[in-house]
Amino acid sequence: MNTLLKIEDLCAQVAGKEIIKNFNLTINEGEVHAIMGPNGAGKSTLSYVLTGKPGYEVTSGHIWFKGKDLLKMSVEERSREGLFLIMQYPVEIPGVPVTSFLKHAVNAQRQYNGEPELDTMEFIKYLREEAKKLGIDNEMLKRPVNVGFSGGEKKRLEALQMTILKPSLAILDEADSGLDIDAIKVVSNGVNALRNEHRSLLIITHYQKLLTYIKPDFVHVFADGHIVKSGDQSLSEEIEQNGYAAYTREQ
Amino acid sequence: MSELLSDIALFGENIPWLEGIRSRGRNAFVMPTAKTEAWKYTKLHVLQRDDFVYAPSKFLEELEGCAEEECDCGCEHHHENEECTCGTHCHCAHRPKLYIDLPFDAYQIHFYNGKFMPLYPALPVGVEVMTLMQAVVEGEVQNYLGKYIDLQSYPFAALNTAMLEEGLFVKIDAGISLKKPLMFIYHTQTEQHLLSNIRNIFVAGKGANISVIEYYYHIGDDKDCYFNNIVNEFYLSPQANITHYKFQNEAFKAIHIALNYARVRENAFYKSFCLQKGADLGRNETKIDLLQEQAKSQVDAAYIMNGWATIDTTTDVAHLSPQTISDQLVKGVVGGQAKGVFQGKISIVKDAQATEGHQLHRALLLSDTAEIDVKPELEIYADDVKCSHGAACGEIDQDQLFYMRSRGIPEEEAKQMLIDAYLLEVINRIDNEQIREWILSNV
Ligand SMILES: Nc1ncnc2c1ncn2[C@@H]1O[C@H](COP(=O)(O)OP(=O)(O)OP(=O)(O)O)[C@@H](O)[C@H]1O
Ligand SMILES: [Mg+2]
Repeated sequence: MNTLLKIEDLCAQVAGKEIIKNFNLTINEGEVHAIMGPNGAGKSTLSYVLTGKPGYEVTSGHIWFKGKDLLKMSVEERSREGLFLIMQYPVEIPGVPVTSFLKHAVNAQRQYNGEPELDTMEFIKYLREEAKKLGIDNEMLKRPVNVGFSGGEKKRLEALQMTILKPSLAILDEADSGLDIDAIKVVSNGVNALRNEHRSLLIITHYQKLLTYIKPDFVHVFADGHIVKSGDQSLSEEIEQNGYAAYTREQ
Repeated sequence: MSELLSDIALFGENIPWLEGIRSRGRNAFVMPTAKTEAWKYTKLHVLQRDDFVYAPSKFLEELEGCAEEECDCGCEHHHENEECTCGTHCHCAHRPKLYIDLPFDAYQIHFYNGKFMPLYPALPVGVEVMTLMQAVVEGEVQNYLGKYIDLQSYPFAALNTAMLEEGLFVKIDAGISLKKPLMFIYHTQTEQHLLSNIRNIFVAGKGANISVIEYYYHIGDDKDCYFNNIVNEFYLSPQANITHYKFQNEAFKAIHIALNYARVRENAFYKSFCLQKGADLGRNETKIDLLQEQAKSQVDAAYIMNGWATIDTTTDVAHLSPQTISDQLVKGVVGGQAKGVFQGKISIVKDAQATEGHQLHRALLLSDTAEIDVKPELEIYADDVKCSHGAACGEIDQDQLFYMRSRGIPEEEAKQMLIDAYLLEVINRIDNEQIREWILSNV
C-alpha cells in the first residue's frame, strides 16, 4: 500500500499562537481517517495548514504528499496535485457564478495535467448531471458562489466541487454540519461514489452519524494540537457517549 | 501649450462669429496648476513636459477626395468609396482596416489621428451627421456652440474652443429612434506628439432616441505619446433619450481629457457609461444641467489601471428644476503606483424640490502603492430632496482568493475573476446586452 500523506512532527501557528503541536499522521492510499476533537482544538487549522492558507505558518516538521514536499507547493498546486478541502465555512463570492467558477477550476486542473480545456456545453451538461445527484438544481448553478446559500446548500456545493475535481485526498471539515438527515445521506453517497483503492479521505466531524455512512478505517482523537488517541470506529462511539473529558488537559 | 495656440491656421478664420468664439477660448485658456481646485488631484506635469504638435485639418480636401499629388498609396481602390487593404497610408479616405469587427452592429464613424475620415454610414432619414465646420457654414450650430460651456471652469474646453475645427454635428429629428448605435471610433497611431482637438455636438429632437458609443482605440506602438482633447455637447429636447457609452483605451503614454456636457429638458434622459482603461492621464469629466421637471441623468463609470497612470472621473450634476433625478455609480480597480481620482458634485438649487440625487464611488486597491483620491461635494439649497453619496475603498478579499486558489485556480486568474466580479455591478447597469458583453470582455 502506497503512502499518500505523511505528516511528521508538525508544528504550526496562527496569529503568533501555536495551535498544531508535534502532529503526526500517515494516510495510505484508499484509507478513510476520521478526526474528532473538542471545539478549538485545531482541526480546521490543520486543514488550512494542509491546503496552504496564508497566515497559517508552519514552524517545524514536514508534510509529504505523494512523496512530494507539500509545504513547497502553492495553494493552487496542492489542489491540482489532488488535495481538496470541504471547508467548514465556505466562502461567498459575489459576482462569480457557480458554473463559471467550476469551469475555471476544472480547466486549471486539466491544463496542469496536459489535457485540453473542456467545451463549455459539454461541461455544463456534465455539471448538471453531477449536481442533480447531490440535489442541486440548475438555478443554483447560475447563482454567485455560496451567496445567499443556506448552510446545507453550501455543503452540497462543496461536495459537488469535490465530485468534479476528483481529488486523491479529500479533507471533509465538518461536511455534515448544517445538513439535514437526508442531506447527510446524499452527500455521503456522493463521497462514497468517489472512493476507490487510490483515493483517501480525512473526515473531521463532531458526530458519529456521518461515520455510519462513510465508514472510517481509523478514528483519531485530536486534542491540544495533536492526536492523543487512535482506534477504529468503536472509538467514535465511545466519544459520542463520554465526550472528550478523558482526553483534554484539564482532566 | 500656449505658444501652440498662436501659430496655427484654422478653417474659417474669415467667419467672424466662429473667430469670436475661438478668441474667447484663447483668452480663457490657462493651464491649471497645483493650486487649481478642480485639478488638485490630477497633476498635469505630463502635459507640461511634452511639446505637442497640432496637425491642421485637411478636411476640405478630404471631403472632395484628397489631392492626387499628396497621396502615394498607389492602390487601385484609390479614391473609390470602398475599404482598402493595401497597407499604405494616404490622406484619402482609404485607410486600411478602418472598419473594425465588433460583436454588435453599429453605424461606424472613424477618426484617424484626430481627423474625421469622411466615410459616412448610410443613416436612416431623420438622422444627420456632418462635420462641425460644415454645420458652422450652414448655420446649424449657432444655438449651441460656445453658448453654454463655462470656459473659465473648464480650461481644456477653452483650449478646445480656441482650436475649434475637427468634430461632428449630429442631429436626430423629433420622434426618431436610431436602432443601431452610432459609434465614433478614434484610431490613433502616431509617433508624433500629436494634439487632437475634437468637438462633437449632438442634438436630439423631442422624443428622439439614440445610442452613441465612443471608442478610443489605439493601434500603434505602446509608447505612443499623444494628447486627445475632447468635448462633446449633448442637447436633449423633452422626452429625448441619449445613451452614451465610452471606452477609453488609449496608449499607456497618452493623455486623454474629455468634457461631456449635457443639457436635459423635461422627461428626457441622458444615460452614460464610461470605461477608462488606457492613457497615462485620463480624465473623463461630465457636466449635466437638468433643466426641467423629470429630467434625468445616470452617469456610471468603471476604471482599471496599473503602472503610473492617473485616471480621473469628475462629474457635476446640477439640478436646476424641481423633480429632477440623477444617479451615479463609479467603480474602480487600481494597482501598481496608479492613482484613481473621483470628484463628484451634486448641486440642487433653491427651488428644485422633490429632487433625487444619488452617487456612489467604490474602489479596489490592488497594491500598497496605489492611490485613490475622492472628493464628493453636495451643494443643496432645497429642503425636499432625497440625496445620498458614499465612497468606499477596499482590497481583494483574501478569503475569497484562498477559496478560489484552493480549487486550483491560479492566483492571477482568480484575482482577475474577482476584479471582473467587482466591476460587474456597474457594468450590469448597461441595458444593451451586446454592448455590455463587449465592455465585459474588455475589462
Ligand atoms: N486567524 C486566527 N487568528 C487567531 N486565532 C485563530 C485563528 N484561526 C484559528 N485560531 C484559533 O485557533 C484555535 C483552533 O481553531 P480551529 O478553528 O482550528 O479549531 P477547530 O478544532 O476546528 O474547532 P471547531 O470544532 O469549533 O471547528 C482556536 O482557539 C481559534 O480561536
Ligand atoms: Mg473547525
